[in-house]
Amino acid sequence: MTKMRSDRLKIVFMLCLAFITTGGQHFESKVAQLLRDETEDIKCFVEVKDLTCFWEEEEERNNLHDQYTFTYSYENKNKMACVVSSLSLLASNKTVFYCKLPKTPFFTPLDVQVFRDGRMLYSRSLNAENFWFLDPPRNLTVMSSGKEGQLNVSWLPPLLKYIDDSMIYEVRYAVEGNNMGKVEVIKVSTMLVLLGLQPDTRYKVWVRVKPDGVAYTGYWSAWTEPVLGVTQPSDVDPLIMLLVLFIGLILCLLSMTVILSHHKFLLKKLWPDIPSPEHKFPGLFTVYKGDFKEWMSQNNSSMWGRSVHVYTEELPSPLEVLSEVSLTSHGTSQREERQAVEEDEEKESERSDSGLTDRWREPPQAHCLVEQLRALQENPESLSQSLLLQSHETYVTLNQNSQGDDERQVDDVFEETLPLQTLFTTAGTTSLNTSHSDLGSLQQSSGSGRLSSQSSFEYPNHTWPPKGPGYTYMAVADSGVSMDYSPMSSSRIAEPLGRHRMYTNDYKNEIFLHKWPLSGQHTQSGSESCMGPGW
Amino acid sequence: NVRLFALLLMVLEWTCPGLSSPLRPICDLRVLDHFIKEAWDAEAALRACKDACSTATNFTVPLTRVDFDVWEAMNIEEQAQEVQSGIHVLNEAISSLQASNQTDVLQSHIDASISNIASIRQVLRSLSIPEYVPPTSGGEDKEMQKVSSISELFQVHINFLRGKVRLLLANAPVCHQGVS
Repeated sequence: MTKMRSDRLKIVFMLCLAFITTGGQHFESKVAQLLRDETEDIKCFVEVKDLTCFWEEEEERNNLHDQYTFTYSYENKNKMACVVSSLSLLASNKTVFYCKLPKTPFFTPLDVQVFRDGRMLYSRSLNAENFWFLDPPRNLTVMSSGKEGQLNVSWLPPLLKYIDDSMIYEVRYAVEGNNMGKVEVIKVSTMLVLLGLQPDTRYKVWVRVKPDGVAYTGYWSAWTEPVLGVTQPSDVDPLIMLLVLFIGLILCLLSMTVILSHHKFLLKKLWPDIPSPEHKFPGLFTVYKGDFKEWMSQNNSSMWGRSVHVYTEELPSPLEVLSEVSLTSHGTSQREERQAVEEDEEKESERSDSGLTDRWREPPQAHCLVEQLRALQENPESLSQSLLLQSHETYVTLNQNSQGDDERQVDDVFEETLPLQTLFTTAGTTSLNTSHSDLGSLQQSSGSGRLSSQSSFEYPNHTWPPKGPGYTYMAVADSGVSMDYSPMSSSRIAEPLGRHRMYTNDYKNEIFLHKWPLSGQHTQSGSESCMGPGW
Repeated sequence: NVRLFALLLMVLEWTCPGLSSPLRPICDLRVLDHFIKEAWDAEAALRACKDACSTATNFTVPLTRVDFDVWEAMNIEEQAQEVQSGIHVLNEAISSLQASNQTDVLQSHIDASISNIASIRQVLRSLSIPEYVPPTSGGEDKEMQKVSSISELFQVHINFLRGKVRLLLANAPVCHQGVS
């Protein structure tokens, strides 16, 4: 029985000691803090429900407790005395005297005075409700909220009935090890969610409390002990990020490889080359700087034949012998004629304004042909007999003289001159009647000498009117690029009918433009020439 | 039928505000805190003005002292009576200032205080706090005090609002119904 009683007493004693020490710890810390911060001589604060006022010891005295007297009064009542106690602060090695009022009146002015040896030392008038010095909040907990960069902080309010709805809290948080922290102020509520934190980081959190200042005011409480909290790691796994980067890199490399291996093809598609005819004119741009005349003169004899071969899409086929009867006397071969004609053309391209007749006779190579022409002219009838009017071939007549009656002169219509007119046959004979269809491809020179051309179809009845000194009949085909002197079938000719371009030379001869019956199509005068300075 | 009845109730509520229907209880202390803040402003303004704001007459004002233990021991009716009588006396004292010529700043504070007291009365009424009953016996039964300056008057004003009035409102039974 006595043993149990003694045990109980011990327990009670221990509890009381614990209570006192904790209270004393808080009390001592508060006193120490106010000793630093408060400037008044008498420093007062309210802890739970009672006001405590203390002052610092002036000088060292032997009898401490008997020296000081503390009195307080309110509402014009008599002064009341308070028991003075002393406290030695271990940290600062100072001694303070304090008095704790037994019944503290609130919401009324309170006059306190300190006397020493009968003399008033300090005096102060204050309202007790303005000097709350609360304990730090209890049970501070920091937990991860489940979301990235957030922490849930919660605590318990001070145990005071009347002012629990007038509290204001301050939460301080900082990365562990870092002194720079942020502060959040929160009213009344005892929990807070910290936002905008770094993921997967350890944070320290402190909290302190103060009355809000409307009904009650006071000092900031001490900071709680720091509590650690860890934020959630970020959602994006760094491993996944690395994998994504790696795959992206591989894809880039692959695409680069593909592009580089097919870069020529891609370049052609995206940036096509402008075709240049330079390769067809060797030396034109490099040696002669684009001077076509020079180039032609240099390459005339040697290159002409070859160039003709290059330009024409078809090889020139032998000329038809127009009149076997009449031509046999001359004994010209087909090839000679063709060659002569080609040479003539070449010559004619060099001519300036002058009569064809003159030029015609000048070059020695053409002399043979001239003779032949003369022979032909002398025997127009024989020629007409042998005309291949019955066939569907085209004929070109070179009229040396200007026989103006039937001939049509279209002077100055076309800038470029054409020595020959390509006549294409059309199906049927319906076109034979009209003689005014416009071929349009013939161009006239402004020279005095003229070449006239007539279609074989103009004379359906085999009446080939004598036109003058001579005619040269040739079969001409225009492939669109150049004149091809060969017997052509209608099928070959009829197709490019509407689109053909006349082979233009720099002929200065006048050439009659005969309007030949066509299938109603108008052939344009070729603004582009097969050969000539236009290129 | 139910809808019609509800509509009728709503219409009646709007059209008959003067009826003795109970006001919605104003339990939020922030309403009173607003008045207290204005009283703080008045007290701070008048603390600075001492000479110009002094008057010859004395004011009878209520006692503002609160002992928590004593207050907790009182029942709600006693607390209500103390608060209501104090408000009444305070109102009379401040109203007496309106008549005398004062500065514009002081006048604005006086007007604000009077309107705030009226609002506080409404709040108390909403909480079903019993109205002030003038004492039939003597004039000085209730604890009163006398102050001689306007600054003291407004000090009493702010202390009274912060203390007794607020404690009464915080402890109003109407606001704690249903809360365990």
